Amino acid sequence: MRQLGLLLAILLGSMVAQAAEPAHADTLSSIRARSKLIWGGDSEGGGPYVYPDPAQPRRMSGFETELADLLAAELEVQAQFYQGLWQNLPALLATGEIDLILNGYELTPARAGEMDHTQPYYVYQLILLARRDSSRLKSWDDLRSHSGGSKFKIGVLGGSGAHVYLSSHYLDQVEIIAYEGTTDAMREVETGKLDATLTDLPAVVFYRDRFQALAEIGQPVGHGYYVMFVRKGDTALRDALNRAIARLLAGGELQLLYEKYGLWNTAQRELASLSGRSDADLGVRATSLRGWAVIRSRGRLLVEAAGMTILLACLSMPLAMLLGLLVALGRRYGPAPLRWLLVAYIEILRGTPLMLQLFVIFFLLPEIGLAVPAFGAAVAGLAINYSAYEAEIYRAGLQAVPRGQMEAALALGMSPALALRRIIIPQAARIVVPPVTNDFIAMFKDTSVCSVITVMELTNQYKVQANDTGATLELAGLTALLYLLMSIPLARLAAVLEKRLARQPKS
Amino acid sequence: MIIDENQPALAVHALVKRFGDHQVLSGVTLDVRRGEVCVIVGPSGGGKTTFLRCLNGLDDFQEGEIELAGVKLRGGLSPRERTPLLREVRRQVGIVFQQFNLFPHRTALGNVIEAPMHVLGYSRQRAVAEAEVLLARVGLEDKLRHMPDMLSGGQQQRVAIARALAMKPRVMLFDEPTSALDPRMAAEVEAVIVDLAASGQTMVVVTHSLRLARRTAHTLHVFESGQVLESGPPEQVFESPCHEATRRFLHEAGGK
Repeated sequence: MRQLGLLLAILLGSMVAQAAEPAHADTLSSIRARSKLIWGGDSEGGGPYVYPDPAQPRRMSGFETELADLLAAELEVQAQFYQGLWQNLPALLATGEIDLILNGYELTPARAGEMDHTQPYYVYQLILLARRDSSRLKSWDDLRSHSGGSKFKIGVLGGSGAHVYLSSHYLDQVEIIAYEGTTDAMREVETGKLDATLTDLPAVVFYRDRFQALAEIGQPVGHGYYVMFVRKGDTALRDALNRAIARLLAGGELQLLYEKYGLWNTAQRELASLSGRSDADLGVRATSLRGWAVIRSRGRLLVEAAGMTILLACLSMPLAMLLGLLVALGRRYGPAPLRWLLVAYIEILRGTPLMLQLFVIFFLLPEIGLAVPAFGAAVAGLAINYSAYEAEIYRAGLQAVPRGQMEAALALGMSPALALRRIIIPQAARIVVPPVTNDFIAMFKDTSVCSVITVMELTNQYKVQANDTGATLELAGLTALLYLLMSIPLARLAAVLEKRLARQPKS
Repeated sequence: MIIDENQPALAVHALVKRFGDHQVLSGVTLDVRRGEVCVIVGPSGGGKTTFLRCLNGLDDFQEGEIELAGVKLRGGLSPRERTPLLREVRRQVGIVFQQFNLFPHRTALGNVIEAPMHVLGYSRQRAVAEAEVLLARVGLEDKLRHMPDMLSGGQQQRVAIARALAMKPRVMLFDEPTSALDPRMAAEVEAVIVDLAASGQTMVVVTHSLRLARRTAHTLHVFESGQVLESGPPEQVFESPCHEATRRFLHEAGGK
């Protein structure tokens, strides 16, 4: 309980600190002083926004990279790119690591409430992509009918405008699956795991050649704006950026830039008329969702996602334990070739990251025709990864049982298998309860890695909600609290179990 | 005397056992008749314990032959040939270890009923009934529900004896059963072994205790350097040993 109290204290303390936060009044002067405009983006999000230059992978390319250079030139400074996870960019802005966010950030009510923004620099639309040969999905109307019985599976970039659009228009009609990268979802449509993906037009243009099996379905939807975000109160910087955008529009440089990337379309003509417009004119009403309000409105989603976390851990751990036991027995009692094979199994699984293993199961197996649903891939990946650790624990446990125990059992006429089952394993079990419990608790936290393969567990939901509302602190606090609520009872259960195993006679 | 001269319970012929280059047993030949109590003494490192462990296959051997309960174990068998023979041998032979080796996760009763239930397939009821008789016989009728770590060394060893007896072995092997115990507890265990010897149980006892040898042995074998140096009724070996080495050993052991 002490940890809980501490956590709440930190949470409340930081809320107060947030309220009293000093305005970063003069970011513009410090930009001028250091002659650098530090802009944040995520190169993993892919083209055509910010991506490694194919000719020089250390350098960034993309229309936003070039736009940043143009803007910096207008401010008579240099542009410097700062790499951050897309969903973390608002947090980086808040801490002062970056001066602005310039990375396909849509103007949404929550973001408008959290941060200040420039006038739009791009009018985006959303394109629904499906396989060219798909017979079920030919138009937007098909999404609502889904006569085939099962819901259509639509992939989106987690927390993006496409995500918001689908959630608000098709929540009950389709199954929305959140990815961390645009191309991940496109690849999944190609392999058939997804029915379609809803993507911003620039990405569709950029990746058209790579994903030739995909075709646009129906008309573009969800007309909206990309804007640059600065810290709340950074009005001098905002106004300077607005002036720069207006000049680039008037001078035609922006149109040239967009044409270079194939992004210019009739919708962009609107941009020139948007300077100086209010949020209301742009169709957005800024909302600020902080404190208890955000906990009340989004808490339920986090609690539900915690349920998914519990389900993942509680299914994966018993499988890992069973698999680990077989591996440990094979390693200790099996013939030499099997032992070598199992050593390789353990070393490969322990020596490569869990995230990579999940990627292989989820993204690569479908390429050889073995499509595993995300949840199944997550359970299998966790179970296999943890089986290596469990096997090593059991091996130590088996070794800790004195040799005389096996001899006594064999001398009584037991077969080796019976001796293992009745005599050796029960004794080893007592030894391994503490480390296995430790791993079980660790697994609850490792389930968060499953977010990379689209499983909507607690951490994933946190990222989506934090990005949507900007209430990073409150939601992070609640998320941490939920993880603690899972692990503390588990630790207590383990203590009880340990005591009972040590004491209770079982004849 | 209830020894049946015509029925060897155990016949060992020219047993040779090596650990790598080191020869531990150099051609041991020895018979044990039904009902006979055979006690093996001798200096440490003479191969006594290894010999005993060969008898129920806890150690294998390179040459020679052991015939026991109608099963013949030969030296140099492959594991595949040995395994089924060993299971048969082990059902017929019980062993009591120097370090007891009780199952620490089972009660005294649980230790005794384990093999009858899971190897012989006895019902729990039958196994418990027999175990209660055996534990009473070794003086532990009031310790049935005790875990091993709550019992003294002498009590643990008596449970171990009951556990071995529960399989109704034709031959009981004792590997220095009192060496790990202080004198008072050793005396408790010794009393049980003496009682068992008197009941006609065929036994092979490896011991350092000349007193135990004197009280139980029908035949005494003196082992040295992996060979049987001298055999005979205990009074003969004790009173008029043939070998100088035997005399020296008895003197040193007795002088302790």
